[in-house]
Amino acid sequence: MSLILPKFEYYKPSTLDEALELLAKFKGDARILAGGTDLIVDLRSRIKKPKAVIDIKGIKELHKLEYIEGKGLIVGATVTLNELLEHPIVKSKFHVLYDSVRQLADMQLRNRATLVGNICNASPAADSAPALLVLDAKVKAVSKRGERVIEIKDFFKWVKKTALEPDEMVTEVFIPEPPEGSRGKYYKATRNVEDLAIVGVAGLVAYPNEPSKRIVRLAYASVAPTPIRIYEVEELFKRDEPLPKLIDEAVNIALRKVSPITDVRGSDWYRRHLVDVLTRKLLIELFLEG
Amino acid sequence: MKITLTVNGKKYEVDVKPNETLLDVLRDKIGIKSVKAGCWRGECGICTVLLDGKPVKSCLVLAAEADGSEIVTVEGLMKDGRLAPLQKAFIEHGAIQCGFCTSAFVLTAHWLLSRNPNVTREEVIEAINGLICRCTGYEQIIEAILAAAKYYKK
Ligand SMILES: Cc1cc2nc3c(=O)[nH]c(=O)nc-3n(C[C@H](O)[C@H](O)[C@H](O)COP(=O)(O)OP(=O)(O)OC[C@H]3O[C@@H](n4cnc5c(N)ncnc54)[C@H](O)[C@@H]3O)c2cc1C
Ligand code: FES
Ligand code: FES
Repeated sequence: MSLILPKFEYYKPSTLDEALELLAKFKGDARILAGGTDLIVDLRSRIKKPKAVIDIKGIKELHKLEYIEGKGLIVGATVTLNELLEHPIVKSKFHVLYDSVRQLADMQLRNRATLVGNICNASPAADSAPALLVLDAKVKAVSKRGERVIEIKDFFKWVKKTALEPDEMVTEVFIPEPPEGSRGKYYKATRNVEDLAIVGVAGLVAYPNEPSKRIVRLAYASVAPTPIRIYEVEELFKRDEPLPKLIDEAVNIALRKVSPITDVRGSDWYRRHLVDVLTRKLLIELFLEG
Repeated sequence: MKITLTVNGKKYEVDVKPNETLLDVLRDKIGIKSVKAGCWRGECGICTVLLDGKPVKSCLVLAAEADGSEIVTVEGLMKDGRLAPLQKAFIEHGAIQCGFCTSAFVLTAHWLLSRNPNVTREEVIEAINGLICRCTGYEQIIEAILAAAKYYKK
């Protein structure tokens, strides 16, 4: 690995229009720079070789972190993960997001890294992704041609591939108010504190003891080419049957839906084992707390 | 391109290339060698500096991104040419062996204790999770940080 970064042009626009202009001009040969904790690593290892790097930290309107009571939370593209963790509402209302971001990288990196960068990098292991999936987050994508909202479930297309067009960028993520009475949690199995997930599981549960109102959502990192939410388990939990039986069935469904690979972090067999164990642990804990 | 950095209270104007990192510039252009390079990929934390008050890994920050900001390296914690109590605590607790990682730990500890002098052991561990020391086994570092907390209480 060469230690010197490859050559690129550096731009630091102060308005969104300028940034969009640059993206249009470079036609896919430019990369957005937010916290740089993925991009600079990818530049150094020559995984990415853009002609231009567009630093968006000079665009004031992207540094927006706003909670609207009854509606949800808006997280702008330059809000760092530590800023998110320090916002009291994130801890008190968006448990599963708080829990996953707390386990993402380390304190020094979270002073730079952003939530939007985590999803735009589109790693199958992105720790915030399962949380955003169970919370039904919406991603705002903007280009010179206009803007659109992409549901988070449609945002991840493949390993390191998002639904963004080359001239588009994300300005913010909107996270709707979690369902009333819900609790959430994220479990991450890792080799050491500062590593990507071998498997990550996010869960959200509401009204565990009232089958008709009961809500159960599960999403995973590092078990498929993209982070995935397993919708098939959700209907199951509306049944008025003993929870241990439903948990068994949910685990079976999850195991059918995942397609883990073998890599340095773990074998596909071990990942399946973790899906089994962590899904049970997470659901049991959320049911008992609820 | 020209950028301005305030490093340990002193202003520098430096000519940098887009592909130079803050780590490169601090070491090679400004000449502060206490900032070490280990992995160049964000994993070891040895390159940690305070950027506008917050610990960051300088191998993952472009020099251009740091334009106009304030940097503190371990030298910046000294007062009138003397070691700060936190720095002394590292020596007294045997939290330094080869010293390669020391400035990263001291800077992180300074940030941590400045925010909250009543830190718990767990909070100390969480703050230094992203830093690697190959010598001390961490225990002495944790003890040094906890012992220095009293100097941050007003
Ligand atoms: C040592 C180390 C440990 C790590 N540990 C973890 C971990 O435990 N879990 C985890 O999930 N990740 C981890 N990461 C990865 C990384 O820190 C996170 O993915 C982080 O959230 C990325 O955010 P960023 O702002 O730094 O992104 P950047 O590096 O700035 O950007 C990431 C990618 O997204 C694109 N991008 C960024 N913002 C936008 C935008 N607004 N619109 C369009 N494209 C955009 C960039 O062009 C780039 O390709 C780790 C990284 C390192 C170096
Ligand atoms: S050299 Fe920067 S983290 Fe290792
Ligand atoms: S004292 Fe040698 S690496 Fe920490």
